[in-house]
Amino acid sequence: MPRWGMVIDLDRCIGCGACVVACQAENNVPINTEDVYHQRRAIAWIRLERYWEGEFPNVKARYIPVPCMQCTNAPCEPVCPVYATYHTTEGINMQVYNRCIGTRYCSINCHWHVRFFNFWEPKWPDSLKNQLNPDVTVRSRGVMEKCNFCVHRIVKAEQKAKVEGRALRTDEVTTACAQACPTNAIVFGDLDDPNSAVSQLLAQAEKEHRVYRLLEDLGTDPKVYYLKKIDIEATTAPAGAH
Amino acid sequence: MRRRDFLKVAATSATGAVLFAGCGRIGDGVPETEFKIAQPVYTPNDWAFGRDAWFATAAPPDQGGYGLIVRVFEGRAKKVDGNPDFPGVRGKSDARAQALVQELYHPDRLAGPQRATTRGSGQFQPIGWDSALQQVAQILRDAGGQRAVLITTRPSSLQAAIIAAFQRVTGIRHAILEPDELVVLRSAVRRLFGVSTLPIPDLANASFLLNFGAEFLHGWIAPVQLARAYGEFRQGRPGQRGLYYHVGPRLSATAANADRWFPIVPGTEGLIALAIANVLLTEGAVPRDRFAPYFAALGLDEARLTNDYSPERVATTSGLTAEQIRELAHALVEHEPAVVIAGTNAAASTNGLFNLVATLGLNLLLDSLNQPGGLLLNPEPPLPELRIADDAILTQRQWAELFQQIQSGAISTVLVYRANPVYALPPATGAAEALRAAQHVVSFSPFVDETTQLADIVLPDQAWLEQWGLEVPDPGPGFAAVAVRQPVVQPFVDAHAFGDVLIQLATQLGQPLPWASQEEATKTLALQLRRLGRGNIQAADDKQFLVTLQAQGGWWDEQSRGSGTVPSSPVVQPREPSFAGDSAQFPYLLVPYPLPAIGYGELAHLPWLQALPEPVSTNVWQSWVEVAQRTADELGLSTGDVVRLITPQATVELPVYVNPAGQPGLVAIPFGQGHTALGRYAEGRGVNPLTLAAPENDGDAGTLAWCATRCRIEKTGRRARLARFEGMVPAFQLEEFPIVRVMAPSA
Repeated sequence: MPRWGMVIDLDRCIGCGACVVACQAENNVPINTEDVYHQRRAIAWIRLERYWEGEFPNVKARYIPVPCMQCTNAPCEPVCPVYATYHTTEGINMQVYNRCIGTRYCSINCHWHVRFFNFWEPKWPDSLKNQLNPDVTVRSRGVMEKCNFCVHRIVKAEQKAKVEGRALRTDEVTTACAQACPTNAIVFGDLDDPNSAVSQLLAQAEKEHRVYRLLEDLGTDPKVYYLKKIDIEATTAPAGAH
Repeated sequence: MRRRDFLKVAATSATGAVLFAGCGRIGDGVPETEFKIAQPVYTPNDWAFGRDAWFATAAPPDQGGYGLIVRVFEGRAKKVDGNPDFPGVRGKSDARAQALVQELYHPDRLAGPQRATTRGSGQFQPIGWDSALQQVAQILRDAGGQRAVLITTRPSSLQAAIIAAFQRVTGIRHAILEPDELVVLRSAVRRLFGVSTLPIPDLANASFLLNFGAEFLHGWIAPVQLARAYGEFRQGRPGQRGLYYHVGPRLSATAANADRWFPIVPGTEGLIALAIANVLLTEGAVPRDRFAPYFAALGLDEARLTNDYSPERVATTSGLTAEQIRELAHALVEHEPAVVIAGTNAAASTNGLFNLVATLGLNLLLDSLNQPGGLLLNPEPPLPELRIADDAILTQRQWAELFQQIQSGAISTVLVYRANPVYALPPATGAAEALRAAQHVVSFSPFVDETTQLADIVLPDQAWLEQWGLEVPDPGPGFAAVAVRQPVVQPFVDAHAFGDVLIQLATQLGQPLPWASQEEATKTLALQLRRLGRGNIQAADDKQFLVTLQAQGGWWDEQSRGSGTVPSSPVVQPREPSFAGDSAQFPYLLVPYPLPAIGYGELAHLPWLQALPEPVSTNVWQSWVEVAQRTADELGLSTGDVVRLITPQATVELPVYVNPAGQPGLVAIPFGQGHTALGRYAEGRGVNPLTLAAPENDGDAGTLAWCATRCRIEKTGRRARLARFEGMVPAFQLEEFPIVRVMAPSA
């Protein structure tokens, strides 16, 4: 059984936002209007954060894409009073939309802030509804939503493999963000398959001491791994404490 | 229904679904099988199988013209991605390509041909295609070829072939509107390397990249190709990581990725390049014989380069220290292979052409032309018909002359295809006045933009995903490549492809073109590729060739490489930049810049792109003024304060964004907003910086130097809320708990 995970190489990421738009297109994420931004309620299952380091002229802007970390010990799961958020056997932190009653406890308990609440009914002009992905539910008002590693793609691929009487092939399925990413900064796959791209990337990056996870110390065992940005002016040792 | 019955029905349905699926193709999400494009599209009325199909097509010409695939479900386009087979992009795409479906299903797309109720009112009423075509044919008949002009944005390669044929039979003049920076870039490349196609840096094999201002990772000439190569440049080669230095006035979205950013005074890129050449020469870092074409191109000699452009002298004007200039020169020779690129702001100064010739010319000194890891020249399009006439691309000066001719009545009829000169050219050019004065204006835009508002008749073009075409990516991947565009869905509205309309107009004028439709033109020219007897498609007959071409999305020939010539006489003289406005009255330099997502405003109507945060400021949906932290401290400004931005040309009020990376003395403002038309998502947002820019021209290229205006800012005492991503979630990069972790390169 696969254990899905993602590797994001920050040395490849250019902050272009292709992942953000690809995710919106794939997962029927509502349009973030100007008003939504003013209200601080934009929905982005994967978002691009920018951090400043230093001061002019020795200033750096750092990009980092942040999807759901798909924690193995996800703090969002035990707090849901109706079991709308749960863990699949393949390690994905899922949201059952028609079970969610909108308490938002999960959101409060997520340290990465990657869960989003639908404060309003999502709206598209009629013509734009033609683009909506029929494989993905449009979430209604009062419901939490989040990245699920494009689970509908995984299910379809697994279904196809089953019909063809075979096991899922290595790297047979990928997420919309990883597929679009023009620099190949985002790679998705089975962490338990030693031949998968994610496993091989991690094995190599471990040797170079580049692997880390966001808020790893909390002990939630995230399945999104980051590879450190390389900076010729960095003074830190490659071992990278913390 | 009882529970037991429900379960029976459900079980039967599920079994049926599995069996049905097992008989043919299943859905999506499986790259190795799913994205193998199995068949060309025959555009049936609808796909009602409840299953997916992926079809190959091509990106628009101004987005790189590379190969795409589109997921189609029951006759509706759902998702766009890069074509995994297409050279250069190999399955990758960008936000702009993803948003093509929003052009297709845009709520403000014109539903069919329209006629203005009152010319210039922006109000239209529907008319039929037959009537519209007859009226336009009559207009052309009355005007005659000499008194009509066709203004287009950069057309697709196939449209260029149809336009050329239309010109031959009607005599109409063709004028192409491209962003000024690209006009300068094409001119520099043509003069320096003797080619009319744009070159591409071989980043995947380069060790060092020196970039003078080009936004090559965010919407420049081939963003997907270059971004993909950049990923390989950084981490695609075990044990080797490419090094990237950026020289430019702003820490732009692209510059933020550089290992080192060298902030400079805008317009001094060429002088810095000369100082680098000076170091290379005086230190004997490169063989002396390589300097001959460089000297020839710039009208220089050894003595002048040595005396006039020493690092110390250039340091006084450029904002760099002599030591920094030497460091740049040393990096070029210490990390081989190295490549130099330049563009965007570097091309938008009063000495833009000199900047590009001097910077790109450094590749001659490095001998990096057509070398692995260097600057690869692209060949001419494989068919002469697919070539876009260079002389049709007008400079700012030529646009002003053209609009003068329209106002004087020498040209009575204006046809406009997807170009928006009223918005994309500065008001001083007189586009709006000329169009108002023209006897007839016919637009082929799918949207009512600022130019279309002044039209009598609108014959809306189909969306890119609805039409046929051939696209020679410019720049290509370093060898000959053609992407085929095919309609992946039936037309969503009653629009006709622009090429079809030209073909029908020519027929009505009694001078039919060689093809009956845009589809026929596509296939006819595609078969000429087969006649070349080379390329990647081996086919027994024409039908098999076309099917293979459509299935894999293009034709390419890796053996067909580009070659050029080196200059033997001066193509431009060294110049220092100049700025409009008195420095005492206007103490800051205004640096406009294209937004990564919506560019110069041509994509401002697509909501996904409007909502995509500008990477550095994270602002969305509006315009803002970027001021440096030090400037803000001096003036007592903070983010959200509304200021009056005053140039010798105009005054606007905008909210401030205090940029920690802003260079003191500079004020930056993004292009892209300020539309008064173009639909609900574009209208009434921010300002168009072209209204602020003084009408300064590049003396050599004749283009608008939009980065050559001084300004000042005044507080208004008001505040406005900036729509932005930053602050949406609590996230703090603490020194002891960094979010983005950084490490030094491995030894």
